Amino acid sequence: MAQKIQILVDGRTVEAAPGAPLLELLQSRGCEIPTLCHHPDLAPAGSCRLCVVEIEARGKRRLVASCTAKVRDGMSVSTASEPVLAHRRRIAAMHLGRWPRVPVIQEIARRCGVVDASAYRGTMTDENPRACVLCTRCVRACEEFVQQRILDFAGRGARRHMTMAYGDVDPHCIGCTSCAYVCPTGAIQVVDDLNHPHDPVMIRDHGMKVNAEMARLDPQQCRMRQVGTANIIDVMDQYDLLPCHNFKFGSHPDAKKIYSAVFRDQYLTQGEDDGCWKGCSMACAKAAEDFELKTGPYAGRKVLVDGPEYENAGACANMGCFDPWFALEWNFYCDTYGVDTISFGTCMAFVMEAFEAGVITEAQTGGKKLRFGAMLETLECLHEMARGEGFGVDVGQGIRWLKEKWVREYGADPAFLQDIGMEVKGLEVSEYVAKESVAQQAGYSMAVKGPQHDEAWLIFMDMVNNQIPSFEDKAEALYYFPLWRTWFGLMGLCKLLWNDVVPVDNKTYPPQQAAKVPDHVRNYFKFFEGMTGIPLDDEKMLAQSARVHNLQRIMSYRCGRGTREHDLPPYRMMGPVTAEEYESRAERYDKQLREILGVDPAGKPVEEKIRLLRAHREAQYVRVLETAYERRGWTRNGVPRISRLKELGIDLPEITAIVRDAQD
Amino acid sequence: MLTINDRDRIEWRPGMTVRDVLDAMGYTYALITVTVDGELVEEDDYDHRAVPDGAALNVFHLAHGG
Ligand code: SF4
Ligand code: SF4
Ligand code: FES
Repeated sequence: MAQKIQILVDGRTVEAAPGAPLLELLQSRGCEIPTLCHHPDLAPAGSCRLCVVEIEARGKRRLVASCTAKVRDGMSVSTASEPVLAHRRRIAAMHLGRWPRVPVIQEIARRCGVVDASAYRGTMTDENPRACVLCTRCVRACEEFVQQRILDFAGRGARRHMTMAYGDVDPHCIGCTSCAYVCPTGAIQVVDDLNHPHDPVMIRDHGMKVNAEMARLDPQQCRMRQVGTANIIDVMDQYDLLPCHNFKFGSHPDAKKIYSAVFRDQYLTQGEDDGCWKGCSMACAKAAEDFELKTGPYAGRKVLVDGPEYENAGACANMGCFDPWFALEWNFYCDTYGVDTISFGTCMAFVMEAFEAGVITEAQTGGKKLRFGAMLETLECLHEMARGEGFGVDVGQGIRWLKEKWVREYGADPAFLQDIGMEVKGLEVSEYVAKESVAQQAGYSMAVKGPQHDEAWLIFMDMVNNQIPSFEDKAEALYYFPLWRTWFGLMGLCKLLWNDVVPVDNKTYPPQQAAKVPDHVRNYFKFFEGMTGIPLDDEKMLAQSARVHNLQRIMSYRCGRGTREHDLPPYRMMGPVTAEEYESRAERYDKQLREILGVDPAGKPVEEKIRLLRAHREAQYVRVLETAYERRGWTRNGVPRISRLKELGIDLPEITAIVRDAQD
Repeated sequence: MLTINDRDRIEWRPGMTVRDVLDAMGYTYALITVTVDGELVEEDDYDHRAVPDGAALNVFHLAHGG
């Protein structure tokens, strides 16, 4: 963006960014500018013309609406010249003559110095104090906030009025109340009180903040409305975090073929409201319509495919299948068969690596050559799984089961399979490369249900920002974030409105706080308070969550998966297992050997370098794990301490009985 | 020499701007905040804000997704 320029405002020199909205600049300088159709959260419409100013550029003077005007080099603005004041007075008088009892109009007239509007009174005069003043805000909010087009104007001249289609109540209205929120006169009233919340206005006002951010900020931030979470594909590839070929690499030259723009431009329907939660202004649930299937029982049929969601596309990269067609076809059938895309994708990536390494051959796969990138063969495995036949049935059992079978029946090397089989607690790992973030390795491996990132996603904080450098910092993040994220689940609230759009002034917080997006945490607390009447803060939220989180861990312990040995990741999550993998990022690993371990890598065989790096990384992991256990109030073996259960008020006898023998 | 996020080091060149540093680091992310020697730099200024030799930059990436 270009450097600041200077313009003249009422004869004074003012610095501004070229292209900045003129009205905002003038208001920030305290200029008196009446507005009616303008709303700070909506795109400018320029329809009421109350905000006119006089602009002189290249020797010409004109009256322009300041809400739609942009700052231009060499411009001179008069906000109170006689033509400006006369123009405003005339418009304000016309409004007052027509709507004499509407308070905002009275206020505007007062500010414009209108004392007598009798010239404009007549048959059109409406004495309703809550009359619609045709400002267009509601029409724009309906479209911009929630991508609906329920409201519009009908009739001409004096008969012009705001309405729903055919002058009837439109059943497609989702009742989001955005229109009522922006209406300056109260012409639109909220009459419903569904669920009887304690304070509907509190919920509404905080929800509208989210709507406004989605309308104004999302296009420059995450583009959730255009592509949903698929925007992360590009980011992950560029930061070496996109799992490619069973998590061997974090990026791939072919990944561009499945970047989000490809889906947006070629497949995904744009500008529609959300299919996940009708009325959600983020509308990240995307869909490809009229997608013609090529395989399986519905081959040749045109269908609607949900997604791709990031994990779904990430799993494609993991299987080396860099093709948007494949991503959609495979996603459709996973959904149709009720198969989890992460589990299947990660499991298939493991199968592919095992196939390429010769652990299994075509003799075991039913003749399928399951190399990375084998798209049709992968789909065939999925169809077999659904039909309950062939090798697909084995794939459906998951990585842990396959490892055991291959060791038992084919004499495979258990250590190699343990290293490359990306599962913890029997669940397949989701689609992020965690090699350079020990906090994320712990976030994954300590997650109670298995290596899902929905307890903690710490890669950027840890690996990129270096924001949580000490073991204590990492443990603190592994305390706070899993509890905060558990809280979303407890409340049944979506997490995406927390940090997939961010207020502009989030930058003013120091990084440790900024990572929590404090203003958005507050939104959620207000949703809770507006619903229940109970005020919430960080401490109370953490306590609510910690009760559940500790109970979950105790359940997991009772099921035999809640101790330290079940919180250890396969080495592929932590670092390079094979020489190919080490060599592919040799510069990074060699540098770490030199700078962190003080070892000169020159001339060392790659196996030795892998071994040295591995010893270091495994030791780091154990320290993080132990520090995090301590922070959570768990024993060295990862079992909740009874003292912690007491503190949380959940030391019921039937619960303490489960963990009593496991205390240290 | 410049230090990024208390850890990474890159060579300083005369006339280097914040944008040059971001490019050199491969930082393409949308939700980032940059400080140079503790002072916040607005996004509008990335292209022309010069970075002095020896400066410490913080490039904070806000997580999203998942
Ligand atoms: S309630 Fe929402 S969907 Fe219905 S008309 Fe108003 S803004 Fe549009
Ligand atoms: S109903 Fe309200 S928001 Fe809509 S045009 Fe009329 S005054 Fe403006
Ligand atoms: S506020 Fe600018 S035209 Fe209405």
